[in-house]
Amino acid sequence: MSKSEANVVVFACNWDGLSSVEAVAQAGLSYPASVKVVRVSCLSRLHQGLILKAFELGADGVMLLGCEPGKCQFDTDPALITQECEKARKLMRLLGLKEERLVLTHVPRGDGSHFVGRVTSFIAEIGQMRSAVPGGA
Amino acid sequence: MFDTEREISDTRINLCLDCGKCTVVCPVAQHDPDFNPRLIAQRRLGQNRNIPQDDTIWSCISCYMCTERCNYRVRFPEFIHALRFEALEEGAQLQCTHGGALQAVMHMMARGDLHQDRLGWLPQDVELAEQCDTIFFVGCAPYFDVLFSDLGVDTLDGVKGALRLLNRAHIPFNILANERCCGRDLLLQGDREGFLALARANMEEFARHGVGKIITNCPECHYTLKVDYPKILGSTGIEVVHLTEVIAPLLRSGELRLGMLEKRATYHDPCTLGRCSRIFDEPRQILAAVAGLELVEMEQNREKALCCGASPWVHCGAVNRQIQGQRLAQAGATKADVMVTACPKCQIHLKCAQKSGDGKTTQVEIQDLASVAARSLD
Ligand code: SF4
Ligand code: SF4
Repeated sequence: MSKSEANVVVFACNWDGLSSVEAVAQAGLSYPASVKVVRVSCLSRLHQGLILKAFELGADGVMLLGCEPGKCQFDTDPALITQECEKARKLMRLLGLKEERLVLTHVPRGDGSHFVGRVTSFIAEIGQMRSAVPGGA
Repeated sequence: MFDTEREISDTRINLCLDCGKCTVVCPVAQHDPDFNPRLIAQRRLGQNRNIPQDDTIWSCISCYMCTERCNYRVRFPEFIHALRFEALEEGAQLQCTHGGALQAVMHMMARGDLHQDRLGWLPQDVELAEQCDTIFFVGCAPYFDVLFSDLGVDTLDGVKGALRLLNRAHIPFNILANERCCGRDLLLQGDREGFLALARANMEEFARHGVGKIITNCPECHYTLKVDYPKILGSTGIEVVHLTEVIAPLLRSGELRLGMLEKRATYHDPCTLGRCSRIFDEPRQILAAVAGLELVEMEQNREKALCCGASPWVHCGAVNRQIQGQRLAQAGATKADVMVTACPKCQIHLKCAQKSGDGKTTQVEIQDLASVAARSLD
């Protein structure tokens, strides 16, 4: 496990989030196979249960990829996902998981190389956490 | 380890006379015409076992009201738990409440390489006895308060109250930094593999620390550690007591005195502490020992107390809401300032009903028994 790349689940919103993931192939780029992308209509659809479920099923990291601030297609209050993300982080802390394993982020719409850069550096950070902490926490 | 047929016969369900008394007292059946304990038994024990899965088994709230009424002491809720296990084995899907967050937390807590960081809330003034073989089992309160922060629950306040009461009574105890969820909700929802993983992890932790006695504030942890662990894992050799069983005798003998709190309070018997563990008097004795506190009873109390209306984090719906509304209305009718419960989960479910009700739900203040008793000491 320590040699393989970290398993990352990306919850991408249907708009800016997914467009950047789809642009990866169009730009002739790629991201590691250990990254699984789950499309959701909007990040406000997510809640602490789904985020924790990803960790329960073996994710080493979870990335919530949404729209740039103020650009949500549904005009939902970004406070919703920020609050769920904060609750999930607190629960992770209780469980002894590093809260940095959960990130809430966005990249410019349709920018594939930006997404590849973001996800590969996230994998590298998780790799460092895993080697620094006994038991892989 | 689990012999379902044997378990089913241990519940004495075969003695069922078809009298229907359980159905008359069952709070779920009162609001849901499709839920009928007597028929569930008939369907499962009848000759035709090829009938489709019985979906109504998920509606039972394990309140043990039926057991109280049954002349043959049929342990109907345990019969339901066995049927749920069977149903899950046959591929039934659970409808988890709260997006499955509680199940995810419980399953992750069962991991062997777990290093929790769960004691950040521990007040500085609480004294622990590090070498002591008595532990206080905190339960899932640190997790509940995060999971249900939007409901304004503060179940840790009850835990802190319990610790202060024990300190005041000079009863030494330690706390384990890596205790797991007791697993009761997984057991009740039929996830026995999940329950066993948690129970074994806890037993290893107890053995490592040479635990000989456990004090709990949560009635569910109390019953599970005391009754279910030995029943399923074999004798644990550990004495398990509820906080109220420790505190009430000291109040009776005068070794401990509580302070003053001018309030009119009503006490809600949690099903697991009351009907399961038969602890009805001690909580009331503790409240009666608070000077200035007037204790008033709800219409349904003690053996007949109405449940807080919730399930083990599965299948929560309109019927649960109706039961909760009914219980809160009973509290409201007493004109009490505060509804006192001894279970963190009652607090969560009742506050949830208050928050998401139709605006007509009784908004009485809800507090943990240990919080109230400890507050009187200030
Ligand atoms: S335990 Fe409660 S909800 Fe379940 S059948 Fe008995 S009375 Fe009804
Ligand atoms: S009553 Fe309890 S189980 Fe039902 S939604 Fe509220 S907190 Fe969840």
